[in-house]
Amino acid sequence: MEELRKYAKELLEKGEVAAVIGYQQVNERRTKPIIVTDPADATKLVFNEYCLNNLSVYFTRARIRSLMRTKDKPTKLAITAKPCDVHSIIALIQENQIQRNDVHIISFYCHGVVRDFGCEFSGDYLASKCITCETHKPLYYDKIFGEDKVTPQASDKSLAKIKELEKMSSKERFDYFKSEFDKCIKCYACRAVCPLCYCQRCITDKTIPRWIESSSHGRGNFAWNIVRAFHLSGRCTGCGECDRACPMDIPLSLINRRMAMEVKDLFSFVSGRSLETPTLVGSFDKKDNDEIFM
Amino acid sequence: MEEKIITKEDLLKLCDDIIAKGHTLLAPGIAEYVPVTNASQIQLDSSALPTKASYKSYVFPKAEPILYYKRSKNDVQLIDADVDGKKIIVLGAKPCDTNSINIMRHLFNWDYEDKFFDLRQKHFIIIGLMCNSFDDYCFCTSVGSSPVSEEGSDLFLIPLDEETFALRIVTEKGDEFIQQYSGFLKEGDETRSFAVIEKVKHPEKAFDSKQVHEWLGNNFESPKWDGIGNVCLSCAQCAFVCPVCHCFDIVDEDYSYSEGRRMKNWDGCQFGHFTLHASGHNPRDIQSKRYRQRVNHKFRYYVDKFGQILCTGCGRCSRGCPVSIDIKEIVANCKD
Repeated sequence: MEELRKYAKELLEKGEVAAVIGYQQVNERRTKPIIVTDPADATKLVFNEYCLNNLSVYFTRARIRSLMRTKDKPTKLAITAKPCDVHSIIALIQENQIQRNDVHIISFYCHGVVRDFGCEFSGDYLASKCITCETHKPLYYDKIFGEDKVTPQASDKSLAKIKELEKMSSKERFDYFKSEFDKCIKCYACRAVCPLCYCQRCITDKTIPRWIESSSHGRGNFAWNIVRAFHLSGRCTGCGECDRACPMDIPLSLINRRMAMEVKDLFSFVSGRSLETPTLVGSFDKKDNDEIFM
Repeated sequence: MEEKIITKEDLLKLCDDIIAKGHTLLAPGIAEYVPVTNASQIQLDSSALPTKASYKSYVFPKAEPILYYKRSKNDVQLIDADVDGKKIIVLGAKPCDTNSINIMRHLFNWDYEDKFFDLRQKHFIIIGLMCNSFDDYCFCTSVGSSPVSEEGSDLFLIPLDEETFALRIVTEKGDEFIQQYSGFLKEGDETRSFAVIEKVKHPEKAFDSKQVHEWLGNNFESPKWDGIGNVCLSCAQCAFVCPVCHCFDIVDEDYSYSEGRRMKNWDGCQFGHFTLHASGHNPRDIQSKRYRQRVNHKFRYYVDKFGQILCTGCGRCSRGCPVSIDIKEIVANCKD
């Protein structure tokens, strides 16, 4: 921890970065995001199993981006990122939302995080994405801390649920999602926490014409959640922030994970894994199977 | 105030009767208050933390039609929407929830009487349950309430032991309701319930709401607001889980050219487009201005207008905030 703080402080003091987007401790089992611009505040930075937020979401926020242009020359933004958060950063770079040169990635060897704040760190309360994680070491980084440790064992309940849903008839599956979407209150926390949901004006906020009903009734909720699923297909990196943020406990990542499985099967593509390859949509080929189009 | 005693067994029988009569019985579930179909599902746990969402949606639905319209060549016909006036009984409401309808009632009966809200709240019976736990986010004592506050409850339960509750009759409405179940009630003994109440631990007071009110009045342009919203991601989780946030949007939904309905939908002041004008101008263009509005509305404007703080101290907004913004901490910092 001291190494991280010292490193962040030096980056800020030398003017190499305009800010460090990091985590600070709230209580024993909770952290929260902090935007450090004053080197003296670098002492607040932490990294542990309670660093749940995917901080790459801040790269597309106007207020944070404006920090990059506060000095004479544009300066970088540093970010403390889990290896899975680095996937989102890669996706954002691929989609031209931020340049690789503008980001200073401070990452860690990761052995998993908890499902939600307040949980103890064990197999029972491990975040779903950590169960099948193969990226304990980040794919890209400018600085890495920590050491490789073993992730607690846990059963993949999310995959079991997907298999269960696949076996259902389409009517049963529809009814399952209807009962889940009925809970939706359209607070759009899922959209707000998603690093890849960066549209300046979301289609749900467009009113002339109104494509998606703003009412949180069955039709409006289906419309929103289906649009969300489509817009994130081949783009979602599986960070699971939407699941965590949903106040109504709707299992949103089931949809995203299922779509990611589909994309992997059809195109052998996994979002946010390589800076050398184009995005899925960006790699359209005339030879692609027609069936993939709606 | 009258005090009775009711056993847990009888209380559950009473619940079964409520369900049998076709009324809606709400009890705290995991994420929200849920309609109970069988009394055996009910957990009356005074040490449970507040549910993620309050029962606000049962009196102020997240989306409701307020009128229907039909369009013909030269005419528009308006058809009133019916209000579902079903009796709703909330069992085991937290003291930080019980007063929410009373607080919102001011707004919904201010310059216009909202018949939808009024009819629904008239049919509400709130059976509160003393609260015996708090976490880092609870601050009911800072907004004039407490874990043992009966305010807003029609009936109030205090657990005397595993199997018995003291039942306090708080309002006439509560009295009228419980009379039909008088067979379940025994005479109460206030000394027993007072002994329980005395032992309840209260969250420490985090701020003085009068001082906060005064500070807000003098510090609209304080540099303290700068950067306060930098980490906020502008969702409406805080507003939508809040038991008293009541902003709504009116939108028309067309089924076809000739038919449609007008909806009243929840809206939230932290959304960037909440104050976006048709001209393109946005008076609350950055997050710090929007957060300042949230704090001012709750602790100053509503107090000035209706003499009531627009907050029950339940801490839901902070507990559920995806980026862990703690309103208690921010309000406590509203001082020189």
